[in-house]
Amino acid sequence: MAISIVPTLRVLKPAALIVGVAFVGLIFGYWANAAFTTGSYNTLYPAPGPEQPINFSHRVHAGDYQIECLYCHTEARRSTSAGVPAVSKCAGCHQLVVPERPQIRMVLEYWENQEPIPWVKVHDLPDFVYFSHKRHVLAGVECQTCHGPVETMDVVSRMAPNQMGQCLTCHKEHQVEFGLDCLTCHK
Amino acid sequence: MSFINDFLASWREYRRPGYYEKFDYAWTMSIDLDRCTGCEACVTACQAENNLPIVGEDEFAKGREMQWIRIERYWEGEYPNVKLGFIPMLCQHCDAAPCETVCPVSATYHNQDGLNAQIYNRCIGTRSCAVYCPYEVRYFNYNNHHWDAPLDEQLNPDVSVREKGVMEKCTFCIQRIRQAKDQAKDDGRRRVRDGEVQPACVQTCPAEALVFGDRNDAESQVSQSMNHPRAYHVLEELNTDPSVVYLKKVGSNAG
Repeated sequence: MAISIVPTLRVLKPAALIVGVAFVGLIFGYWANAAFTTGSYNTLYPAPGPEQPINFSHRVHAGDYQIECLYCHTEARRSTSAGVPAVSKCAGCHQLVVPERPQIRMVLEYWENQEPIPWVKVHDLPDFVYFSHKRHVLAGVECQTCHGPVETMDVVSRMAPNQMGQCLTCHKEHQVEFGLDCLTCHK
Repeated sequence: MSFINDFLASWREYRRPGYYEKFDYAWTMSIDLDRCTGCEACVTACQAENNLPIVGEDEFAKGREMQWIRIERYWEGEYPNVKLGFIPMLCQHCDAAPCETVCPVSATYHNQDGLNAQIYNRCIGTRSCAVYCPYEVRYFNYNNHHWDAPLDEQLNPDVSVREKGVMEKCTFCIQRIRQAKDQAKDDGRRRVRDGEVQPACVQTCPAEALVFGDRNDAESQVSQSMNHPRAYHVLEELNTDPSVVYLKKVGSNAG
């Protein structure tokens, strides 16, 4: 009795089709991942900064006048979030320093109405990421490592990738204890 | 590729029995069933702490409830000689966890603190881990849940709000562990003191049936209850080596 391979192949045909499609999908997925991840990665930064309610210039404050980052963003060394300074901090200087300029007058208006300035967040990490400013500032990480050269920017925009790759590279480089454990940064 | 090799090396390392002795912490919980009254305060506390949704009646009927810790009731005997036993059931953070081996994307793994971690943004929702878990303590998000105002104001910012298609489970309140470690670092201490970390369920238990601590520290309260003659693990015969220790209920009322 002749043994034919044809019936076996007939049964295997749908299976072969599925495997074939899956294989093609795998190859395509790998290619798409390799080709486009770098692309989308780059489009995230440098991104033009959002329009802020007041044309605050970091270049003037941090660049020209050499005011420390932590002078205004005081919470960065005490808390997980760096925070934006209260209007009282702006008013504290600007009630005396150039109070007549139109932009400064807007700030003082907020101060007189006792309202917070609705700043727009530029560096916004996803919800599932735990990032503590305190730990990094106390460890001596420069603000510019993740925020880019803010002291040269009139409008703050994202100049560093701020993605998982950057975190891991830095953690690896500095041999952070358990720095590669997922639960170090994910919550 | 070296990153994958590192990951595989640590994965193997943390799955070796007794791996935790050379690390700082091995988080453990002990539950005294003699003290448990089944009041479900722990369930409510967990719900509030970890942003757990209220799924509603229909979803519950389909078995899609969300409770990282639940109270199981066991009735024994025939009326009127009925005995009732309670057992709080939560993720056992097994050292040889069956769920970790099946995850195709390593979204669940064991870390150096003896925690069975679940990384939500890595999870692709195959639900294999829930199938393999002998304790049935993994919960799947079948829907996107929402919180009506003003309930969304009470969401815990330290815990991510999970989306549809993601598996979730008890984390031993990782946000509180992290905070305690942070505090220890600020104070210049090397280790977290015993009793400094309290998951929400432990903190709220009115009978103090739940105790949380580090079993690498021989002095800790949880180490002492581990050596108690009443101590046992649930489903010990499966060799999952759980990190949750139960103290058996004894006496005439024992269920």
